[in-house]
Amino acid sequence: MSGYWARRTGSALLVLGLVLVLNFVLFRMMPGDPVASIIDPNFSPEAKARLSEVYGLDQSLPVQFLRYVRSTLTFDFGISFLTGRPVMEELKSRLPNTVVLLGTSLVLSSLLGTWLGMKAARKRGSLLEKCVLWSGALSFSFPSFFVQLVLLMAFAAALPLFPLRGTLSVPPPAEGLPLLLDYLWHMALPVFSLVLLGFGGWALYVRNLMVKILGEDFILLARARGLPERNIILGHAFRTLLPPLLTIFLLSLPGIVSGAVITETVFSLHGVGRFLLEAVTGHDYPAAGASFFLLALLTVSCNLLSDLLYGLTDPRVRMERGGGR
Amino acid sequence: MKGLLKRWSFWCLLGLAALALFGTRLFDALPEAEVAAPFSKPLWLDRSLPPTMDLELSGGHPAVELDWTFSAPSRFSLRVETALPAPSRFVEWTLPGGKTFRLTPLNGGVELDGRDMAFKRSLGLPPFGDASSALFPERGTYRIGLTGEGEWEGSVKIRLEGGRWGLLGTDQRGRDIAALFVAGIRVSLLVGIFATLLATFLGTSLGLAAGYRGGWTDAVIMRTVDLLLSIPLLPILMALAALWGKGLWQLILILSVFSWMGTARTVRALTLTLRDAQYIEDLRGLGAPASYILRRHLLPETLPVLLATMTLGVPGAILSEAGLSFLGLSDPRVISWGRMLHEAQSFGAFTAGAWWMLLPPGLGIALLCLVFLDLGKYLEERVDPRLRGGNVL
Amino acid sequence: MIDIRNLSVTYGRMTSEGRGSQAAAVKNVSMTIRKGQFSALAGESGSGKSTVLMAIPGLLPPGTAVSGEILLDGKNLLALPENDLNRIRWRRIAIVPQGAMNSFTPVLTVGRHVEEVLSVHLGLSRKEALERIPSLFDLAGLDGELARRYPHELSGGQKQRAAIALALACSPDYLLCDEPTTALDVITQQGIIATLKNLVEKKGLGLLLISHDLPLAASVADRLHILKDGELVEEGDPAEITARPRNPHTRALVKALLDLEEGS
Repeated sequence: MSGYWARRTGSALLVLGLVLVLNFVLFRMMPGDPVASIIDPNFSPEAKARLSEVYGLDQSLPVQFLRYVRSTLTFDFGISFLTGRPVMEELKSRLPNTVVLLGTSLVLSSLLGTWLGMKAARKRGSLLEKCVLWSGALSFSFPSFFVQLVLLMAFAAALPLFPLRGTLSVPPPAEGLPLLLDYLWHMALPVFSLVLLGFGGWALYVRNLMVKILGEDFILLARARGLPERNIILGHAFRTLLPPLLTIFLLSLPGIVSGAVITETVFSLHGVGRFLLEAVTGHDYPAAGASFFLLALLTVSCNLLSDLLYGLTDPRVRMERGGGR
Repeated sequence: MKGLLKRWSFWCLLGLAALALFGTRLFDALPEAEVAAPFSKPLWLDRSLPPTMDLELSGGHPAVELDWTFSAPSRFSLRVETALPAPSRFVEWTLPGGKTFRLTPLNGGVELDGRDMAFKRSLGLPPFGDASSALFPERGTYRIGLTGEGEWEGSVKIRLEGGRWGLLGTDQRGRDIAALFVAGIRVSLLVGIFATLLATFLGTSLGLAAGYRGGWTDAVIMRTVDLLLSIPLLPILMALAALWGKGLWQLILILSVFSWMGTARTVRALTLTLRDAQYIEDLRGLGAPASYILRRHLLPETLPVLLATMTLGVPGAILSEAGLSFLGLSDPRVISWGRMLHEAQSFGAFTAGAWWMLLPPGLGIALLCLVFLDLGKYLEERVDPRLRGGNVL
Repeated sequence: MIDIRNLSVTYGRMTSEGRGSQAAAVKNVSMTIRKGQFSALAGESGSGKSTVLMAIPGLLPPGTAVSGEILLDGKNLLALPENDLNRIRWRRIAIVPQGAMNSFTPVLTVGRHVEEVLSVHLGLSRKEALERIPSLFDLAGLDGELARRYPHELSGGQKQRAAIALALACSPDYLLCDEPTTALDVITQQGIIATLKNLVEKKGLGLLLISHDLPLAASVADRLHILKDGELVEEGDPAEITARPRNPHTRALVKALLDLEEGS
């Protein structure tokens, strides 16, 4: 049992290591002279050289890599080329927004999707089941940014119920409750859009799994034991559904984190994803590398968490091989 | 095959492909051409707004009658092109009430714009007056003609920029959205199909190698799959798109390099079950080389499944391309649906309320994805009839 | 006493196998299961044996047409609403499923299954339930320690005995056994049959054994029924039936068996 957990932790660390390498290679190879992008072309060559030194760009690549790994592991990501402020400070102010955005929408859409999927599976052939099948197909084919743009146009531009952009009003209201309400008001539409885009897939998955489970012998036998419907659906069917559900959760995480870039761009939110886009387009590679690392860290730690939960919920997996699922 | 002809998606795909190939011929101008006022609404939308009109007077057609049932156009411009100056001939503007304006003598190379101060003064308007509403004060029949004496050769072109244009209106630069939409099909289809083909090729080769060779090859390939499936890929795609330039083929290559993992897993699993099948073992026993077994037996066996997974993979590639274009990471010279949405967001479609800029590309992407999903489901059911039923599409 | 009168069952269009047949699975079957008696219902696969068994506690899939009566001490089970049936299921009539069936929920321990029925039907607390498990498992010939295991951690024979322990949890009056020994080796098979026989004799249970294995059924049962294409073709004392089969089908069957025995 501890072997399983050690293996999962080990593979998570391996992934993080590979992310570090990838990160370094990727963002060092970005085109454009980073020094040129932050300084005035009228600077003297000496001044340029000094700046290169400050950013460590004059060193050989292996030295740069080691310095990079050391600083990344201590969360010291250097100074942003674009804003001139420490990258960590920039990220610190943005990460909570990204976590709130993704966390809330993930929880809401998975709860809604699971509930609808379970209902649909129990009422085969009903209108609800058809709706679930359709919403699944639609959520796999509608581009997220399109749906979000339409929502923005409808509920922020045409009907000004929600703000068009930003995480807080400018200037932000006073501390305390007004600030919180303002924040919720700004996050409502982005979160709603992600729930709208996400629940269909969940519902479809849950419905398909549930239909399969409800056809299993052990459900028929649970019925034969005269158990109340509640016990059968929750205690047996849903309990069996839980491990595969966690697998899907796990597999969908990277895509959800990727989605942050798009959502934050559409709604102009103060988050890590939009920061990443700005950094990539502006050749700000300390910032780009750090944002990518942070997003990858977020994914990998959630991955590890759900791996461990999986081990707790499915007795069969604890004994099996450690490798890929 | 008969079942395919009954699928709506098949006909839909055929129609879209035909539009992609021949659709540009439906339009007089190139999709890049600025044909009307920016943010013009679609023609069928608001009938009180005037459509954009181009009128022309010449020696053969010295007068035009205009049945005007709209509010005043947003802009008025007039251009005179003559070989010989004819200063005693004028363009005459007659209102429905009978009042007339003499707009300009037919001197060569005259250009008038409703916003010019001199033009406003010649109409007797104050500097802040609106020439367009002075020329179109009411509904009725307007007459635009030439009066005066003198030989004349050339043309008078009058452009009335209305608020409506074409089937789907115009964008922020006055380009025809219908033409852009048709041009965008090509990119989505091209990227969707080629990126998936390439990804399938990569996935199949790596999956076959992993499954058949086993050992270290297997371990390395499957660990790579695990890695790529557990990190967010969009940031990598973004960085590579920025790094490699933004051309269409680079994009296809980048997308396929990061979407072969699912295929590799499927093919590996299939290969593993087939590898131990009796007839494969017999072939090995007879001394058939691995390449022969792979090419002649394992590949054909996996092909039908591959076709289905490939088709189901197209929407992913289409959505990724659209996403990158939407983030502004595509070639700005290539018209694509994602790019159209990018421009809609960046160039004020919201303040203009121009929803007609959003819907065509967005719905286009969704439709194309649904088409491929449905085709994929159809192929999947043919491979495995147990899956039949339970699909809505 | 469970008294089955003129039971006919026709599956609806959509059976789980996707078969669209409308043919009756069971036609006009009448039989009784008495307490303290070992009854057996034998027949080929597809003859409708399992349908009869599943019809008793009302477990046929929705959309199935059922006619006739199934009387439990005079009460017609076919007319009972689901809630009342749930009070009879397991407390009065329990099932021992086929060995090949996936009869335990894979993510719960075997003991958890027992605890659940004890708490639902007898209102026992978790602690009280845990105290009962060793004696129940003992009754089924199983070590009580195995209750902590998950289904996949048990062997086929252990699983089958655990299923018997689970069936006995609420001390039912009737035990319906659907091919309890199929897919098991001969030694285990005999052990399980002996356990069942013991339960009938010592505890006075009414037991219905369903089997495609005619010699096995004939050797253990007090009363034998033979089903052919959904119709009951023989009923009576096993020795009587094997000695003087009335139906041509049974005659052929018995003859084939006798030939086999002679040959071996």
